[in-house]
Order: sequence, then C-alpha cells, then structure tokens
Amino acid sequence: MEYFVQQFVNALAFGSEYALVALGLAVVFSIMGLVNFAHGEVIASACYCVFLAVAVGLSQPWLAILLALAAAGAASVLLERVAFRPVRNAPTTTGLLTAFGVSIILQNLFQLLISPRPQAVPVLNGLNATWHVGGFTVSSLQVMEFLAAALSIGALVLFLNRSTLGIAMRAAARDFSTVRLMGIRANRVIAMAFAISGVLAGVAAVFILARRGSVSPDMGFGLVMKAFVACVIGGFGSLSGAAVGGMLLGFIEVGLLVALPQEHGGLKEALTYVIVIAILVYRPEGLLGSRQELGDKEI
Amino acid sequence: MLQLEGLTVSYGAVQAVRGLDLSVAKGEFVALLGPNGAGKSSTIGAITGLVPSKGRVILDGKDITRLPTEARIVRGLTACPEGRHVFANLTVAENLRLGAATRSDKAGVAADIDRYCTLFPVLGERIAQAAGTLSGGEQQMLAISRALMSRPRMLLLDEPSLGLAPMIVARIFDFIGSLKADGLTVLVVEQNAAQALRFADRAYVLGTGQLRYSGTAAELAGSDLMSMYLGA
Amino acid sequence: MTTDALPATPSAASRWILRGLTGGIITALPVVAIGLYFIGFAPNYYQHLAAAALVNLIIVVGLQVFMGNSGVPQLGHSAFVGLGAYGLAILATPVALKKLSIPHAPFGLSQITLSPVIAIPISFVVVAVLALVSGRIISRLSGVAATIVSLAFLVIVHSVFLHWPELFKGNQAFFGIPKIFGLPAIIAGAVAAIVIARLFRESATGLQLRATADNLQAAEALALDSRALRRRAWLLSALICGAAGMLYAGFAGTISPKVFYFQQVFLTLAMLILGGMGTVTGAMLGTILLSFGLEAIRSVETGVSVLGIQMPAMLGLSGVALGVVIVLCMALRPQGISGRYELDEAIGALLRRNSRMDKAE
Repeated sequence: MEYFVQQFVNALAFGSEYALVALGLAVVFSIMGLVNFAHGEVIASACYCVFLAVAVGLSQPWLAILLALAAAGAASVLLERVAFRPVRNAPTTTGLLTAFGVSIILQNLFQLLISPRPQAVPVLNGLNATWHVGGFTVSSLQVMEFLAAALSIGALVLFLNRSTLGIAMRAAARDFSTVRLMGIRANRVIAMAFAISGVLAGVAAVFILARRGSVSPDMGFGLVMKAFVACVIGGFGSLSGAAVGGMLLGFIEVGLLVALPQEHGGLKEALTYVIVIAILVYRPEGLLGSRQELGDKEI
Repeated sequence: MLQLEGLTVSYGAVQAVRGLDLSVAKGEFVALLGPNGAGKSSTIGAITGLVPSKGRVILDGKDITRLPTEARIVRGLTACPEGRHVFANLTVAENLRLGAATRSDKAGVAADIDRYCTLFPVLGERIAQAAGTLSGGEQQMLAISRALMSRPRMLLLDEPSLGLAPMIVARIFDFIGSLKADGLTVLVVEQNAAQALRFADRAYVLGTGQLRYSGTAAELAGSDLMSMYLGA
Repeated sequence: MTTDALPATPSAASRWILRGLTGGIITALPVVAIGLYFIGFAPNYYQHLAAAALVNLIIVVGLQVFMGNSGVPQLGHSAFVGLGAYGLAILATPVALKKLSIPHAPFGLSQITLSPVIAIPISFVVVAVLALVSGRIISRLSGVAATIVSLAFLVIVHSVFLHWPELFKGNQAFFGIPKIFGLPAIIAGAVAAIVIARLFRESATGLQLRATADNLQAAEALALDSRALRRRAWLLSALICGAAGMLYAGFAGTISPKVFYFQQVFLTLAMLILGGMGTVTGAMLGTILLSFGLEAIRSVETGVSVLGIQMPAMLGLSGVALGVVIVLCMALRPQGISGRYELDEAIGALLRRNSRMDKAE
C-alpha cells in the first residue's frame, strides 16, 4: 500500500511537470500556430539564470524561485520578439523549423558560454524532504509540484475566463483577425501568450532544478519532446488536452517504471512512446482534439 | 469623415480594387454595391487594415494608411466582417465584452450589454451560451451589437444579409437604418441593393475593382445600372 | 479521338522518366566531379571527410523525398540510417569478431556471417518493414502531430539500440564491420539516390503528393489519397536513408548509436533547408555548401592559432552555426537557395531566355 501511494504521488508529480510544459506549448500553438521547439531552452535559460545568480552569491531559495519564474517568462517573450516575429504569419512548417533552429542555437550557446558538462545548482535541494502524511511517507517535492501545477492551471483558467485579455486569447485561438477588429493589439495578445507559456515553464524549471540539483545544455529538449507527445495525445492545440495528456504521460511512465524489471528499466522511454503511438492509431486527432484543432490552423 | 484616395488592393498578380476614390461624410449612410468579386470586401479590408493596400485611407482628415488594424479601431472605426465571425467558442456575453475591449468604463459596458440584450431579446436569453450555437440571423445580430459595443463613430458593415432569410434581412436593415438617427456614420457593403438603398443617402457601385457609378440613392434606384450590375 | 489519345499515354509516361533521369544526372554531375577530385587529388584524411559528406548527401536526399514532396517536416529519418547501418553490421560482421562484441546475440545471430550480397537485401527488408509500420501511423496524422511522432520514432529506435546490448552492443562502438565500400561506391550510391529521388519527384506519385502539400483539401477533392501517397514517400525515404546507413557502416567499419541521433538530424535538416527542401537540387546544394562551411568552422572550434596566438576551443560553435542557418533561412528565404526549380529546370529556363533574347536581336 505504501509503495502504491508513493508511486501514485510520483505519477502525479511527473504528470504535473509534463502538463505544465505541455500547457505552455499549447497556449502558444493555439494562438499563433507555432510549434515551439525552443520551449525547453526557456526552461534551461531559467535554470542557467539561477546558476549564475548562485555563482555571484545570491543563494536564497525564495530568490532562486522568483528568479526562475521571471527569467523563464522574460526568455519566452524575448524569443518571440527576436526569433518568432519574422515568421509570425508564415506556414506552420516554417515556424516549426525556425523554433527547431532556435533550440539548436540556444543549446549550443549554453555549451559555448558556460560548459557542455552539467553544472551543480544545489540551491533548491532543501525543497526535497520526506513528509509523513497520514501514515504514508511521501516526497515533499512531489506533493509541492502537484500543488504548484494545480495552482498554476487554476490561475490560468481564471485568467482565460475572467479577464478581457484572457477572453481575447481564447477568441484569438480561433479567429485572430476578428480579435484585432475589436481593437485588441495583436502584439499584446501574443506577448501575453508567450509570457504565460514562459512562466508555466518557470514553475516546471523550479521543480526540475530542485530534483536534479544541476543544469545542462540539453536538459530542456527531452522534456519538451515528452510535452509535445503529451500535446499530441491530448489533441494538439487544445489546452485541456495538453493538461490531460501530460498527466496521462506521467502515469504511463510511472506505470512502466513499476511494471518493468530493473534490467529493462532503460526501455521505459521507448515503451512510453510506443504506448502513446498506439493510442494515436485509434485516435489520430488525440483524446480531446477535434480535426480542426489538429495543427492545420488557419491564421 | 472617411476618404479613400486611389485605393488599390492586389492579391499577387490579381488586382481586386483599382484606384478607388470614395468619401463618406459625417453622419452619412453610404452603400457600396456591386456583384460578387467586384472588390467590395477588399475595400472594407483595406479600410480596417486587415488587407494590405496601396493608396490612402483618411479618417477625420488624418492619414491612417500605415496604422495597424487595432489603432484604427481605437480611432472610432469599427467593422462587422463578412460571414459575421462571431467567436463561436465564446459565450454571447464574452463576445459583447470583447467588442468593448477598447473601453475602460465598466459600468457603461455593462449598460450597453443590457441595451443590446433588450434590443435583441434572443441575445439576452442566450447570454451564457456559446455563440456558435446561435442561428445565422442571431449571429448577425450579435456581430452588429458586438461592433457597436466599442461606441464607434463609424461602422463598416460587410454583407449583413449574407445567407439570411429575407424576413431577417429586413429586420436587420431596419435596425441598421435606425442607427442613422443616432448620428452614426455607416458604410455598408451589399449585394442586396434593394435593402441597402432603403436607408442609404448615397451609393457607389463597383464592378471588377473599379468605380462604375456614384450618386444619390434615389438617382441610382431610377437608373439602368440597377439591372446591369445589381440584378434588380 | 480515342485512338489518337492512346499512344499519347505511354509517351507521356516515358517523358517523365526521361525528365527524371536527365534531371537526376545533371543534378548529380557536381557531386561526381567533387567526388572524383577527392579520389584523385586529396589526401586520405580528406577522402574520409568526403565519404562522410556524401553519406550525409544521401541522407539529405532521403529526407527530401518525404519532406520536400509532402511538405510535412520529418525529424526521425536518422532512425532508418541507424537501422540500415546496424542491419549490415549485425549480419555481415565475421563470427570471430562477434564473439568479442555481441556473443549473446539472440536468434543465433552471433553464429552466422552473411556475405554482403545477402546481408544488404535483408537489411533493406528490415528497414522496409519498420518503414511500413511507422508510415501507416504517421500518414494518418496531420502535419504537426506527424512531425512529433516521427521524432518519437527516432527516440524509440535510439533507445532500443542503447538498451538491447545483446544485439546492438549498447552505447559502445560496434566494430569489425567489413569495410566493403570505398569512396567510389559511396559516390555511386549518392548518384543513384539523386536519380531515384528525381524520378520520384517527376512520377505520378511524386506529383500528386506535391499537390497534397500545396492544397490538401483541393487534392483530396480530386480523389487523391494523401495517406497512401505519404506512405509511399515515407517508404522510399526510409530505404534511401537505410542505404546511407549501410554505406556508412561498410565504409567506416565502426558505428555507435549516437551517430544516428539528434546531431545527424540537425545537420541533415539544416543542409536540406539551406539548399531548399522543395527540390533534389536543394538537397545537393545544401549538403555541399554546409559540408565545406562546417569543416571551416570545426577547425576554429577545436582551437586554432591565429598569428601565433592559440585561440581557446569553442565547443558548440558549429551547432550555433547550424541553428543560425536554419533560422535565417526560415526568416529570409524559406524556400532555400534553389527555390522551386531543379538545376536542369533552371538551366533550361536560362537557355530559353537567352535564345529568346537572341531572336529579339
């Protein structure tokens, strides 16, 4: 029972992380049709910012958390200004390949400017403790990650349903031109989408940093791969699909971790993708997607 | 209030509008008529800035040709696009709220939402329903109300009768005509010339991207252009 | 009427074959010229570089077959390169060497050595089977989802290479593969790949697939089966990439999984984008330009001495350059250098214009 509860919390934590990153991808995709491969480097940028802050002596955990959130938001908005604005109205393929290129540039810049090897960032290790909840032993980090993700998603839902800009973002996901006819600035909507996407990535970055205790140039890429897969199973471009897909991916992974014998543990990733692809054979449009939301978006 | 000087809209090698001159005075109701493909909607697109164009668009004596769409709306222009374009996934209330996105007086916005819900009771009944579930005529009422939510000084209407039953068209035009009494300047693009000319002060007729005729509505109604271009 | 129309059909058929063949051969000419120059005049080290560049060229051509004609970005093609390479390695490596590297290989594979003449076709069959399975799934998905799943496919294959050490030797190098291919064989392979890709582009399938990329709804309204078309392109693309893998394994004699992973994907993708993914010419141009360009950057990257001052090593510089190539191309010229026209089409258009101008004078 103890083991079961621990693994359940483990799955919730992984699922939360994927959901946060996948939501960030979906927010941007739904509004401007950009498949943002550079999203992982937003996470890495946030982590490197914390690394640099610690290097100059700013090593309070709360400061590191705030810095990670702010840096991720800023990096995301900056990427839109510098790299994605020139291809804003281009076909999806052009945007996708641009983002892929940006991702390669950033990964190599981290190598070039900092180091190809992982760098230790122990500042948030204190978040990782063992809690005893109702007779069960659970990892504090995992519980906090789930709560933080739930809180972030709740805040996002509130924003999208209550604020004028949030409503405009939902409208822009379907019909950007008409949103502009309402006198709402396109740049503002898109900058907001990237800021939200970045801050969600920042939340994920805090927990990644706390768990790994180190940063490396390619740390974001694998994660974004999984988040994309989460988006695909959920239904590309659907926000609820991204959250559900992320959670599902977390549970599939932890399920495999439990089911696979130790010596085949390395195949976890491959099998996760096999299961996901099997889902797509039966539902090519994803679990919550509709045909029209499936990537061939008109802008 | 609005002047177009030498407006040209091209899509690749095809010129949809060629050197159009047009003006609408303050408080005037002007109809822009013509058959399918005459360049009417491209003209509206050029005025709102959603369609790139050459030539000059002048609002209140100021050249707005280089301004983005959003900035033109802030200056008192508003448009109700062809095919209505209500935000199908948003509720009726949210649609109306977005129409007032440029305003900051919350109380005024709430009062205006009430006003249109009284004018079109069906909007009031379905205020929390997704706009995509409304019928075509109801969506047109919502689209016009939404456009008016910004308290514009000038309204551009693109094909308000498109795909609607004659009775509903008449009702919608009655409402549009009533706007004239409020002092609103209106430029309406229509294929349904008879409806548009019921309220228009003046009319322009486009054919294959060029101006074919301009004059008062009464003159046009009596001329043979009606049968040549407008099938009436 | 019908009797007149009938003979036109076979002549039309032979016309596209002729156009594909001549076009392919013209496109391959620069490759042959550069290849022969390297065979004749370059030192051994550069012959190795040339071989690696030509293998990349074949991969880029394979990538172009699917991506260029279908318009769907594909990022998993290196999986097929790896499958081809490991197929040949496992089947053709001598038993004595397998005893050292993969003594516990399943299916008795450690006890057999096949002649390359048999090993190569079997490897192609393995690649084809996996391409058929993955192609069935990917062709059903629309644009973005297909791209993501192609990438997931690469991760799956790579992960199996790593975590099935009995067969693939894990992340260690697989050595002792008979070096059956030299630079001439690789040049021949590159020429064949270019000609096949050109023939595919001109064929009915290629033309119809390009139509679906242009306007999917319109093409499907003409009863074109975009899924079947994509499946065929996917299979051909996989076979060409698999061939590149076999040539690489048979030239280098040693392979390891990391060769067939993201680095290769980035590199070949940048090459195709720079040259222009719409054409086989683009694949050729991009590979040649980037191969030379990157070699120059690599010499800086490892730390050169300029005017007697030793520059520090700058790891990652070539990666930055690849990324910059992709981003700048997408922002400034998304159709790449070659644009919409193949080399022979561009030459033909130029000649026609000149003759017109002559007439005008």
